[in-house]
Amino acid sequence: MFSSSQFDATSAFSGGGFMPSQSTQLTDSTPSPAKSRNSLGVVPVTVKQISQASQSGDEKSSFVINGVDVTNVTVVGMVFDKAEKSTDVSFLIDDGTGRIGCRRWVTENFDKLEMEAVQDGMYVRVIGHLRVFQDVKQLVAFSVRPVTNFDEITFHFIDCIHSHLQNPKLQGGTSTHPHMVESSMNTPVRNGQTITSNLMSKQFDVDGLRDCDQLVLDRLQQSSSIGQEKGMHMDELCQQLKLPMEKIKESIRSLEDEGLIYSTIDEFHYKAT
Amino acid sequence: MHVRKRVRTVIQVVGADRGAIVGKSPDDLQLVVKGSPPSAPLSNFVEVIGIADSEKSIQAEIWTNFGEVFDTHSYNQLCQLANGEYQHLFL
Repeated sequence: MFSSSQFDATSAFSGGGFMPSQSTQLTDSTPSPAKSRNSLGVVPVTVKQISQASQSGDEKSSFVINGVDVTNVTVVGMVFDKAEKSTDVSFLIDDGTGRIGCRRWVTENFDKLEMEAVQDGMYVRVIGHLRVFQDVKQLVAFSVRPVTNFDEITFHFIDCIHSHLQNPKLQGGTSTHPHMVESSMNTPVRNGQTITSNLMSKQFDVDGLRDCDQLVLDRLQQSSSIGQEKGMHMDELCQQLKLPMEKIKESIRSLEDEGLIYSTIDEFHYKAT
Repeated sequence: MHVRKRVRTVIQVVGADRGAIVGKSPDDLQLVVKGSPPSAPLSNFVEVIGIADSEKSIQAEIWTNFGEVFDTHSYNQLCQLANGEYQHLFL
């Protein structure tokens, strides 16, 4: 690590011409990847995911989505029922997976101007805190921006899937990948609010099945319960679950390793234990 | 597969036929979209939300202009993921 007494710009960057204005600049490490695991920043979610979120049970009024503490989220959807009042503007956001109420407090001119641009029927990106008020979840928005390039809608949903896959629960709790995507692309408050969630000490489910494995297992358990003696053929699983064959094969392999399924009449038929 | 269900998709407008809009779906199939389009002119890409009344037609309730340029390939892949492996996040 450099300190002001040891650092010699001329020798370290000969010919480069770079002279930091403060020597302390180099003593600060770049944002540590490990740190960003605990401060999730803004998490892209669908309204469906919000509706399934449970409260984290402590005083912080944060929510748990897929086993991860979440407070700030971003949602992209269509505006409905916009209602302007003197202190706030409320509206519904419908992203195709559900509807959620949003409220934007209007305290400064900037807030007022931003909300004037928002109309019913328009697609917007909302960034805000999740709250519960009288048992109903709502978003307290601090940014509402109209969507002008509609690839943003596709991007947002893919981002939701990506964020879901980054979930440490799905990775068995051993992930070392930092949440670089979320913190660099989504949030205007990157250096602002940090959420102290206890990601590292979280109690993960013992059953760390991937989504795909779970779908295959559920289907096989269903087929056992209706008395299908020889189980199901891999092709049937592929057709019925609308999943690619490689995913079906991967799931079958890991479920078999876990002892949750076994092959029956041949290597293509499987049944739940 | 989705007949009589509420569906949404983005079509590339190809033309009009007997009062309905004919478009190309993100997976390159022809779709007929019935209903009342908005009074403003339709852009090249339009999102339609409504009820699928057959495998190839939608009775649209909401029409939204998505502009002249749109990445249909990514949208198509998203639709497959959202209806397949990740449906629990969407449906």
